[in-house]
Amino acid sequence: MNRTRTFGLVAALIAFAVLPNFLKSYGVYLMTLFCVYLMAIFGLNLTVGYAGQMSLGQAAFLGIGAYQAAIFLKLGWPIFIVLPVAGIVCFIVGLILGFPALRVQHHYLAFATLGFNILVYLVMRNEEKVTGGTFGIPGIPRPSLFGYSLDGALPFFYFTFLSVVVLALFLWWLLRSPWGRAFAALRDNPMRATSLGINITAYTLLAFAIGAACAGVGGVYYAALVQFIEPAPFHFSASLTMLLAVIVGGSGRFFGPVLGTIIVVLLPEWLRFMQNWYLAVFGFAVVALMIWLPGGLLSIPERLRWKGAAK
Amino acid sequence: MKRNAFLLTTMFAAAFAAPAYAQPKPIPIIGLMELSGTGATAGTNFDNGVKLAVKEINAGGGILGRKIEYTSMDTQSNPGVAKALAQKAVDLGAYVVMGPVFSGSFIVSMAETKRAEIPNFTGGEAANITQQGNPFVFRTSFTQSTAMPKLAKYIDDTVKAKSVAMIWVNNDFGKGGRDTMAKALEERGIKVAADISTDPGQVDFSGAVLKAKQSGADALFVYTNEEESARALRELKKQGYDRPIIGETTLTGQKVIELAGDAANGAVAHVGLTADAPQPAIKAFDQKFQSEYKYRSDHNGMKGYSGMYVVKAITEKIGKVDSKAFATAMHGARISAKDAPGVLLDVSFDQNGDLDRESFLVKVENGKQVVTAILPPVSAK
Repeated sequence: MNRTRTFGLVAALIAFAVLPNFLKSYGVYLMTLFCVYLMAIFGLNLTVGYAGQMSLGQAAFLGIGAYQAAIFLKLGWPIFIVLPVAGIVCFIVGLILGFPALRVQHHYLAFATLGFNILVYLVMRNEEKVTGGTFGIPGIPRPSLFGYSLDGALPFFYFTFLSVVVLALFLWWLLRSPWGRAFAALRDNPMRATSLGINITAYTLLAFAIGAACAGVGGVYYAALVQFIEPAPFHFSASLTMLLAVIVGGSGRFFGPVLGTIIVVLLPEWLRFMQNWYLAVFGFAVVALMIWLPGGLLSIPERLRWKGAAK
Repeated sequence: MKRNAFLLTTMFAAAFAAPAYAQPKPIPIIGLMELSGTGATAGTNFDNGVKLAVKEINAGGGILGRKIEYTSMDTQSNPGVAKALAQKAVDLGAYVVMGPVFSGSFIVSMAETKRAEIPNFTGGEAANITQQGNPFVFRTSFTQSTAMPKLAKYIDDTVKAKSVAMIWVNNDFGKGGRDTMAKALEERGIKVAADISTDPGQVDFSGAVLKAKQSGADALFVYTNEEESARALRELKKQGYDRPIIGETTLTGQKVIELAGDAANGAVAHVGLTADAPQPAIKAFDQKFQSEYKYRSDHNGMKGYSGMYVVKAITEKIGKVDSKAFATAMHGARISAKDAPGVLLDVSFDQNGDLDRESFLVKVENGKQVVTAILPPVSAK
């Protein structure tokens, strides 16, 4: 990373951290929601963009994390226990699901994860004793940190924001480690990766499970943010939306999820001034983007360079 | 110097002009509505009802001489979005918040409006909304715990059914209604012969109807959202179901009749509000709504319309635009349709924010709701 880019990144982070102070509660809420989805979408980018697998089950992991958080936070567990528990449980569920499912790849895997998502959704809806069924779980308390309450919109935003930065740093490190290079190697050319001694199954499984754990952690923040959960936000259509975010942003690019999440979470809100048309305009915008920029928003610089070179 | 003179002149002009043109500030009222997603039918109708009332009230000079500025925002039938918009409504300084209609979304939004002490009207019917001691929550329709016992009485006394099959939609609305109905039936010793759960947005009802038929129950209770009700009715007709089909509000809704066509004929339901009711205020509403939107309102449109007029009546009663005083005045309030025709029927609110008024038993005949009986308010007994 060169100096200009580092500078730009730091400036963007500072701007993002300062901005909520000038916003009312609606704006702060949206920015927090953005951070929450960003965690899950960072995770999905690892699976889809780096390990090259299609997953349509990310919302299920988000939900598993959220329901655990709802139940444990209501029991009064501290956030420092709830977070790792949610991450580890999702990691393990990811391993258990991935082990048989990753025998198949690409769109077959997409269907396997889709089935898993529907299964999880049905459990959330029908196991009323545990999950509250369709009535959901209301009144989830916001956690506190070292005795400092995160009840207010701003403290909770900063907590979520710092967490997403930490998660991003972890993923940044992971992708630059031998493991991360192995992910990319098996995405670009599985056969060559095998010839280099990379165990494809083990590495794909690892990427999938880490991606799931990211969503699980995101789920904890989701439950604490909305303070009410029900099955609907974890329907497989939410998985599709997250996949859309990865692809629109630029699949397999580190900052792709950031742009993708802006498009998916914030753009519909910005388009609200169009009243009845806003969702239609959003849909058209996505279609147009996919036709002209199949590589996602972050492929624009390359496209421009390529065009420049062609002239 | 020249510029300073200009500035001075402008400032003087502004200082004198401002009071001359000052108009009373409009009253901000925000609607959180399901304008897309699974709740779109209910939300759009509710929203249109509110808009019609606002238009009329503004044409008549507003409330206490101030116009209403109504803005509706789409929750996408998603509680997470509803929560964001409830905060936006608070940020915008809403006097009263209307909606959401769906119970799940409402439970999230009402926590926000409570914190800001802004009255919040709902179209939701789930019983738990008003059981949480939130003093800023008010209904625009019956709760399931008022409606279901009335209906169970009808099934017992008039239909004389000994067993009932139930087809219900598995969301908070359907499950809540199913639980309340099952309890009401049990109290009367009526057996639930088949308990059939269906999905929100379900298209194929052949399995559900087949199960209901095979149960051999004396009657069928259908409790689903509008579009699903129409699909269920079509399938019931297709399979030649010949026992009484009974529902609550949604089953005989205007939208359902339009979608189900012939298949809706013969269905019976208890409704809190219907555009086919004989009261002159409702007839007048029906005509105005049709000329405004070119279609007939269902009960949700009437909820929104009458709810907005409740806001007007109570605000005029307290004589000021004050959210907190409004909420206090709402508890125990009685509004008669004679004084305020916009509320459509005499209505009273209790300490929980639940409302009470007359209701109707209707039957669909030749594609129209026909009122077969007017049931008195619960408190009138």
